[in-house]
Amino acid sequence: MTVVEGMPATVTLRRNFWRGVGRVMRRKPSRMVGVGIVVLFVFMGIFGPLLYPDPLPRDDNALYASPSWAHPFGTDFEGTDVLALVVTGTRYVLLAGLTTAVITVALGTAIGLLAGFHRGRWDTVLMRLTDLQLTIPGLPLLLVLSTVWKFTSPVEMGVVLGLLGWGGIARAVRSQSLSLRERGFIEAAKGLGLSTRHIIGRELLPSMAPYIAMNMLIAVTGAIYAQVGLFFLGVLPFDANNWGVMLNLSVFGGGALSSTAALPYLLAPLLAILLLTLGIVLVVDAMDEIFNPRLREE
Amino acid sequence: MRRLAAIAAVAVIATATGTACSGVGGSEAGVYTTIDGAKQIDATAPINPFNPQGNTFLGYDAMSLAWPKNDPVDPNLFYPGIAQSWTTTPDQSEVVIHLQPNAKWSDGKPVTSQDVKTSIGLAYTQGGTAYAVDPKAAGAAADVVVVDAHTVKVTQGANKSNTFLRNVLSTIVVPAHVFGSLLPADFWTQLKLARGNGPAAEKAKATITGLAQKVISFAPAKDVSAGPFVLERVNPGEALLVKNKHFWASDKIAPTRVKVLNYTGNQQIWNYLIAGRLDSAPFTAVPSGVLNRIRQTDGNEVVKGFSPVAVSMAFNQTKAPYDNVHVRKALAYLIDRSQVTKVASPEGGTPSQTTTGIHAESAKSWLGDGINSLDQYHHDPAKAAQELKAAGMKLVNGTWTMPDGSPWVVELHVPASFSDWVAAAKAITSQLNDHGIQASVLTSADYTLYLDELAAGKYDVGLWLMALGPAPYNIYQRIYGSANGWQLLAGNLTHVPPGTQGNWMGGPQTLNGIDPGTLTNQLNAADPARQKQIVGTLAEVTNQNLPVIQLYDYVNTQFVNNSRFTGWPPNDSDVLRLSAGVWMQLGLIKETGAR
Repeated sequence: MTVVEGMPATVTLRRNFWRGVGRVMRRKPSRMVGVGIVVLFVFMGIFGPLLYPDPLPRDDNALYASPSWAHPFGTDFEGTDVLALVVTGTRYVLLAGLTTAVITVALGTAIGLLAGFHRGRWDTVLMRLTDLQLTIPGLPLLLVLSTVWKFTSPVEMGVVLGLLGWGGIARAVRSQSLSLRERGFIEAAKGLGLSTRHIIGRELLPSMAPYIAMNMLIAVTGAIYAQVGLFFLGVLPFDANNWGVMLNLSVFGGGALSSTAALPYLLAPLLAILLLTLGIVLVVDAMDEIFNPRLREE
Repeated sequence: MRRLAAIAAVAVIATATGTACSGVGGSEAGVYTTIDGAKQIDATAPINPFNPQGNTFLGYDAMSLAWPKNDPVDPNLFYPGIAQSWTTTPDQSEVVIHLQPNAKWSDGKPVTSQDVKTSIGLAYTQGGTAYAVDPKAAGAAADVVVVDAHTVKVTQGANKSNTFLRNVLSTIVVPAHVFGSLLPADFWTQLKLARGNGPAAEKAKATITGLAQKVISFAPAKDVSAGPFVLERVNPGEALLVKNKHFWASDKIAPTRVKVLNYTGNQQIWNYLIAGRLDSAPFTAVPSGVLNRIRQTDGNEVVKGFSPVAVSMAFNQTKAPYDNVHVRKALAYLIDRSQVTKVASPEGGTPSQTTTGIHAESAKSWLGDGINSLDQYHHDPAKAAQELKAAGMKLVNGTWTMPDGSPWVVELHVPASFSDWVAAAKAITSQLNDHGIQASVLTSADYTLYLDELAAGKYDVGLWLMALGPAPYNIYQRIYGSANGWQLLAGNLTHVPPGTQGNWMGGPQTLNGIDPGTLTNQLNAADPARQKQIVGTLAEVTNQNLPVIQLYDYVNTQFVNNSRFTGWPPNDSDVLRLSAGVWMQLGLIKETGAR
């Protein structure tokens, strides 16, 4: 796979890769839509808060206002534009999601690779540790943790969700490692006397990179559900533009499930979660084809 | 929902504010459907009124001697319950109770004075103001005498309280032939012993208090009720009560059955109301949109009355800068209470006129026009800036900082489950941010945790229930009670240092040369004229020192449905503060078309 090659060959490979990416994206327009959605949310996450004044304007005479041109998703209990809340709230959601994904993937991959490659005691110890992690009930633990830890920053939120979510990836990566370590190129690397670090980092890991990358994106969606769910339950700090808090307030404060007045306030964050998830799923679909040799050759 | 449960529980427990109820389930004739605002149904709980989760329902199958009217001023007004009438001496040193002559339990046995005495004995095991084992406790009963089969005399101990009558008449009466075995044969001898001193007294006290859990967990095989209904069955979804044919005024009771529906939150109650399932529902926080939807349902009607509860923003005065009255005044000038109420509780609250410690309805009687002479704290940013400057706070680049230039962030704490409090807190922080004070809302997972952390002094500022009348002592005890350092033990009032023994408010012991805790305690024994004088003083002290900023006064917003029953209490009726079971006992509710 990554046996040392000459520079011109590498450049050609990269060029071919991006051509392949372009071809895959063009084959199904929905994938372009997915990329567009993800780019839009990333844009909102980075620049969203800059698009609106801080604090967001309120209108006492337009509490729970209906959708209009001025307020496409109406207003909240304070008369604040719901769309503005969703846009400015994107940063927290994405940051927490990304932090979760990075930690989940980094920990899961490292532990899975080490366990799968070394087997023996390493495998036993690391997999028991993984089993232990998998048996920890995430939601109850988070509910308890929330009583002593206020998760004031998205990174804190992401760290905790990441530490609670790496077990599945570790298991999957270990399985793949067990399979790959018996393949010829790994045997050859071992026969050449290459270091363990080299074999794991330069031989095993690249083979699994697509799988890991896809898991990372999927982990983002999982983290979004988890954090929004926790905020919805009302166990995490209040932040008016947090999507989970918006869901909570629309249902329990505004009665969105009982009357139509607060329905747009409920639908806006729901739609944002749906769109973001859809975008990620479409991108993962494209990645699957890009990295799957069989699909690529078609 | 939890907001409802907590508010209702506090209102019911601390002030004996009633709930409402009623309802016909579906098209079943004669079935009245309602919810219990004080608790959710736990089908595994015993049929025992001493158990907080017990499957007994006040006014239906759980009966007290009398039902407090919760008059805004006079706490000693009642409707008859098991007691047909009562007399008391002017200083309430002696209360003589005359039972309903025809009262019978649902198994046909008569209700007698012995039942009352047994119920009082059981109340001693749970502790309580009138039934404190310690004879020095204010308002503790000294003796219970059965005069005849239908007359009981209860005398008050030496440390008199003017809430004695109220506390005695609030006694829940249970059948001695069911609950009597919980008390040892020598219980009253033990009680006498416990009131003394020495090892024998301590041992007797331990014996009595040791019965508490046994009484709470006691599970009778079936309900034996002296009320208009008796529990037939209970499941996780609902409790079904049937008419008690032995009830002394059963001719007044229109429904043949009562269904008490369970709920998990306010939202479920809203859905019951929208579906027209409830004949009546007690106070429930309802957003405007939902209220409009509820009103659209055929037969639904909103009834409003006085609810002796208000909400305030309370300060931990051990934390700077909230130890400075100028800072508290500045915040009072900056908070637009009308806007907060409009955002938080447009249907269930009215903006407080100013901070007095008293609900506006009570203040009319206690303070009269005097309330207008107090500082009104109208929204006034200029005055707020003056106060902040007087406190030494600095305005740097449009943001107020501490006197030493360090950042000042108002962290306003609320329990996440109180949706109106969360909205109020957000509205307050928005207003403060508009005027250069950095402010944020922090939520606690639930109300119990919130109270624990508040009491532990972990919060600088938090929202706080207050004005829990009608008794003036109860009203001011919320501000100048144990939360602010004044502790009443065995009739002895002490002030503990801030940050200890639950003193999280941490205010000074004297304000303008007045000890407000002592004054509050005097409300217990004072005559009406002196009470009025004390309340006036406390209102003024509270208004000037602002240990809390009163935000809005609750309105008792209830719901009734005219499709199956009618004859509801009118707006502002005092019975709105009682359970619908009591409405029925008073002959108020009739089947539609039956009149």
